[in-house]
Amino acid sequence: MRPKQIDRIMAEVKSFPGMPGAAAKLLTLSNNSDADASQVEEILRYDPGLTANILRLTNSAYFGLPSKVGSVKQAVVLLGWKRVIQLVIFSCVNALMDKSVAGYDLPPGELRRHSIAVSVAAEDLVKELKIMAPPEIFTAALLHDLGKLVLGGFVKDEMEKIESIASQGVPFEAAEHMVLGTDHAEIGAQILKNWSFPSEIVSAVRWHHAPDAADETNMLIDIVHVANVLSLMIGIGVGREGLQHEPSPLVTKRLGLNITDLEKVASRTLQWVNEMSDVFVND
Amino acid sequence: MRYVVVVADMKVGKNGDMLVTHALGSCLGLMVYDPEAQVGGLLHAMLPLSRINPEKAAANPFMFVDTGVPELFKKVYDLGGQKKRMIAKAAGCGRPLGNDELFKIGERNYTVLKKLLWKNNILLDAEDVGGAASRTVHFDLSTGQIIISSNGVKRDL
Ligand SMILES: [Fe+2]
Ligand SMILES: [Fe+2]
Repeated sequence: MRPKQIDRIMAEVKSFPGMPGAAAKLLTLSNNSDADASQVEEILRYDPGLTANILRLTNSAYFGLPSKVGSVKQAVVLLGWKRVIQLVIFSCVNALMDKSVAGYDLPPGELRRHSIAVSVAAEDLVKELKIMAPPEIFTAALLHDLGKLVLGGFVKDEMEKIESIASQGVPFEAAEHMVLGTDHAEIGAQILKNWSFPSEIVSAVRWHHAPDAADETNMLIDIVHVANVLSLMIGIGVGREGLQHEPSPLVTKRLGLNITDLEKVASRTLQWVNEMSDVFVND
Repeated sequence: MRYVVVVADMKVGKNGDMLVTHALGSCLGLMVYDPEAQVGGLLHAMLPLSRINPEKAAANPFMFVDTGVPELFKKVYDLGGQKKRMIAKAAGCGRPLGNDELFKIGERNYTVLKKLLWKNNILLDAEDVGGAASRTVHFDLSTGQIIISSNGVKRDL
């Protein structure tokens, strides 16, 4: 039974939509230091919907720009390349994350809210802890649960088995792995590999529930791990898996995290999530 | 009317109203009801103490247990509820696996609630707290009935 099912899962990973064209082009462009803002505009000009979303995100309070930005060119100047590319990726995957997710029992829009929550909580943790982290943290956090889109249907079919294992105190993703032979973290990482995403992002997604099992330690993995647990605790995107995950004491020690840091970040996360989710509400 | 109480929010109502809150993780869900006046309220508070972010607490007292609970009682009194008849029930306050003190926000929410109630001579009539499962609450203000749904299972509180 298992080989068949894992084959079906892998077939779905293969047929999962490729990375949206504009995001792919921009990622290539961003490696080219001669690139300038007008090239970004050139790529985006054929996609007015995408451009509109990027401008709406740019103007959201989260980025705190003093005045309203009316063009992608201006956005690049004020926010910088890396941020604008993050927003392009965000807008491109938005349509995927908008749907309800079976198995994990996430109503429509909730995976997006959760993903935004983990992104803003991750960036806020970096600020609160006064540590250095690569800018990729936003995208890694945003895409950490992408694998749920593929695995959800399979989780739903095997829910009874998964839950009977999880009810014995086994983390939910470990129960997924025992029953399905894989879990949503592994699947998400595979999709991002197929999309040729940078390896740091892939490994942050791969190990977001099990940082101690990673063959490396890095800031991205640690921060996404904590931001995810925190977002679930405050009820953003908490579905069938509940709080059935074990935060790593090694990670919190490495980060020097304390209760005050965690609660401060929690108190600030909700507002940003609401503001950024609202950008997409009228789609 | 059916009111949905989001995270860091509170709603009150009367006979004929239904208060619903989803996705209680570590957050506290506190339901109070006066069966004679048939009025009640539901608070969905995220964090134990407002001193962590006084600015947020001033803008929205319902984010914190210490500022949200008194406000909940006040609003239900305003609708005609009386302290001596008030029934209080709690749900949520869950926590992730493992034993890391850092992540016991749910337990801290519960502790702050109990202290507040104790100081005010109010007892919890029922509770469904702790554990790793997420909870949804349906609170019927016609009857005071509270139904907790968690992972597809429903129970009366
Ligand atoms: Fe996950
Ligand atoms: Fe997650």
